[in-house]
Amino acid sequence: MKYLFLSLFLLFSLNAFTQSLLLKGGMVHSGNGEGAQIQDILITGNTISRVGNNLAINGTTEVIELNGLPVTPGLISPMSNLGIVEINALDVTRDDESDVLKAGFSIFNAFNPHSTGIPWNRSNGVTSAITSPGSSSFPLFGLASYFVLDGSLEIKGLKDIAMFGRMGSSYGSRAETLSVLESLLELGQKASAMPIEEVLEMRLADQLELQAQDILALKRLVDDNLPFVLETNRAVDILQAIALKKKYGLNLVLASVEEAPLVINQLKASKIPVIIDPMDNIPDSFDELGSSLMLGKVLDEAGIKIMFSTQRSHNYHLMRQGSGNAVAYGMSYETAIQGMTQTVAETFNLGARGTIAQGKIADIVVWNADPLEPSSFPEFVFIAGQAQDLSSRATRLTERYTNKENKPSAYKH
Amino acid sequence: MKNISLLSVPLLLILGCSDLDESLSETTKSQNKSFASTYEPMQSQPILYKSANIYDGLGGEFLDYDLLIADGKIVEMGQSLAQSGINVIDATGQWITPGIIDIHSHMGVYSAPGVSTSSDGNEATSPVTAEVWAEHSIWTQDPQFALALKGGVTSFHVLPGSANLFGGRGATFKNISKNTIQAMKFPNAPHSLKMACGENPKRVYGNRRQSPATRMGNMAGYRSAWIDAADYRDGMQDTDSDKHPKRDLAMDTLVGVLDGEILIQNHCYRAEEMAMMVELSKEFDYKITTFHHAVEAYKIADLLADEGICAAMWADWWGFKHEAYDMVPANIAIIDQARNGTGCAIVHSDDEVGIQHLNQEAAKAMAAGNRAGFDISKAHAMRWITSNPAKAAGVIEATGSIEPGKDADIVLWTHNPFSVYARAQQVLVDGALAFDMNDPKAQPVTDFDLGIIQPQTIRAQ
Repeated sequence: MKYLFLSLFLLFSLNAFTQSLLLKGGMVHSGNGEGAQIQDILITGNTISRVGNNLAINGTTEVIELNGLPVTPGLISPMSNLGIVEINALDVTRDDESDVLKAGFSIFNAFNPHSTGIPWNRSNGVTSAITSPGSSSFPLFGLASYFVLDGSLEIKGLKDIAMFGRMGSSYGSRAETLSVLESLLELGQKASAMPIEEVLEMRLADQLELQAQDILALKRLVDDNLPFVLETNRAVDILQAIALKKKYGLNLVLASVEEAPLVINQLKASKIPVIIDPMDNIPDSFDELGSSLMLGKVLDEAGIKIMFSTQRSHNYHLMRQGSGNAVAYGMSYETAIQGMTQTVAETFNLGARGTIAQGKIADIVVWNADPLEPSSFPEFVFIAGQAQDLSSRATRLTERYTNKENKPSAYKH
Repeated sequence: MKNISLLSVPLLLILGCSDLDESLSETTKSQNKSFASTYEPMQSQPILYKSANIYDGLGGEFLDYDLLIADGKIVEMGQSLAQSGINVIDATGQWITPGIIDIHSHMGVYSAPGVSTSSDGNEATSPVTAEVWAEHSIWTQDPQFALALKGGVTSFHVLPGSANLFGGRGATFKNISKNTIQAMKFPNAPHSLKMACGENPKRVYGNRRQSPATRMGNMAGYRSAWIDAADYRDGMQDTDSDKHPKRDLAMDTLVGVLDGEILIQNHCYRAEEMAMMVELSKEFDYKITTFHHAVEAYKIADLLADEGICAAMWADWWGFKHEAYDMVPANIAIIDQARNGTGCAIVHSDDEVGIQHLNQEAAKAMAAGNRAGFDISKAHAMRWITSNPAKAAGVIEATGSIEPGKDADIVLWTHNPFSVYARAQQVLVDGALAFDMNDPKAQPVTDFDLGIIQPQTIRAQ
């Protein structure tokens, strides 16, 4: 019944004569870190045109009474493989790795808007996502892109918005990783002063079989303030990363940072934003001995900007559960909401998304209950003002197998 | 005074192994003596929790009830209970549940840190390794045990991995850190035998150009092994003991299954493969206790209910492999509701993080089920992480519910356990305070945790 209701609503809201839509009386978490309040949201076209109380509307405005239901900006995953990995264990369904390119590997053109993970995550409140290359043995994995999860073949997003990489335990020494990383950044610096062809001929570039795309990407790291997401955990490695940021003027974002509480003052002073999985308190390696459920609280109290990754692929909406656990262990509630919305948009320069405010693109989720409870789900999802169909393969299969008609399931559709 | 049940109920409900002994073969009986549990509960004092809200793990919800615990057992649940001279804890507004049980854990056999020297869960050297026992791999200092305890887990079943058709024996443990495996083993709990369907065995051995390389190869492998086991059992039953075959550890395990003493825990994702395994069990006359992972269990929910087989599932994992592609979040609810609610649904973890939050996983599964049109209460869903896994592990007589006479394996929660904000405030194992969130001295610290980052400190928990 629920799905049917939503489908009817969809038809209604997409009516061509509907110019504007009023979400009336929701408990609005704007995403900017401030407390929620009961407000109305007026959406005109793809944009939030007003937020306030008792907003004036004209006769053609459609009104949805929310009666206090929680409203948040559409959630933004800062770190996903949406659209480029269908099934992890099947290489033929993966487009997240390159044998040829390294730092300059862009996944943008591999994005499949019809991947089944997209409707699933969208129906769970994730309206856009950063998709990054998979990890590799090389310290820099390549370039991530940003995608709006409307499922359209007219792909909306931002190409090559961040570099992803990793430093820590591996088969070689982390001292070597760090040294290679510095040499690569220096190649990027050289690319400002000499032609790419000459940089490619330098000994390290030649030895690592770097391509022009790699050098251009390295140049963007040191010249263009390209966000650089570096996964690292050990306390002393975090200090090395902070030093790297200072030395090369990097726009650094640190991911995982399980031992951050041990170097919290230095991290705070560095103003580096972080991406964490608050539920991962397992000392999976000897880099993560300080891992704990208190990570979110400690970072929040230091005023560090926090975003959320999830433990497993395919379920990026579970950053709600992760941040909910962080709140259970002392992070502030609005920091959690902000970490899934505005902090991602600002850290990665995603434009007019990530908050519910006048002039922003209307990516909005209306929840049936507290969005940090993993048992909650969206009642409505809007992307750029358009109500989204909330069905997925999971809802189709559920309908089929809860249908008690006496015929083979293949005929229930 | 409105009591649910009275002290007159026998306090001790020992698992019925002694009753079973008569019907078991000599082979099976001889196995019981080796590596037996030496578990002894920690010292405890009587406790009276006052004015708690209680889920009994059997589907009951009792608001504003008291719970009396003594001698490591649940004595009484009722209203306005009073007893002088014992520890009284005001639990007003808080929730009490049975200790959570995970039917699928690899703690100790895949310890943290996950380094190659601690990778002890898959004897991936032959598709049939029914001779290995997971408990022989366990590292008692795995820091994951204490983390699971903090999530309310009082018992767990450790299985070998799923590389093999027959992966070896699993065993059940009380979540009390001890320095020997036997001292953690759940007293009188049956062993299990891990079997695995599908992609894993055929991939592991197919990549080595040996059988099984296909799903049909998997089936042939199981059938050959059961034929060998029946033959071995016949040989062992010969009245002339000189004609008995040489003792074979793998065959001991398989015969234990045929004798009904060892429970089958069967890793299986796809619907038609589970149905095939049911057929296999009939061919060789044994019982499947639980299908594990069972991502497609919802497609054959009635069959599983009819056969009395539990399905242990995740709330929402999918996409990591092809056989996990058809996930529906209502899977657990559909199994539960099959055949007028006679299905046996279990929420399992198979994961060191998931095991700490099984209550949240049950909350997601319940919400998804209700969204799909069912009407499942929290009290009912609590069964999925307490009494149902206890049943599947063969320890339901001792734990898994709040009933007089059962082991006092209990969690006191700060909030309703179906909320993400709920934390286990106190965890009792056999009536002893195994974890208290407000008392660092009542929190286990493994040898691994001690002084490892800085000599003066304990690793952050």
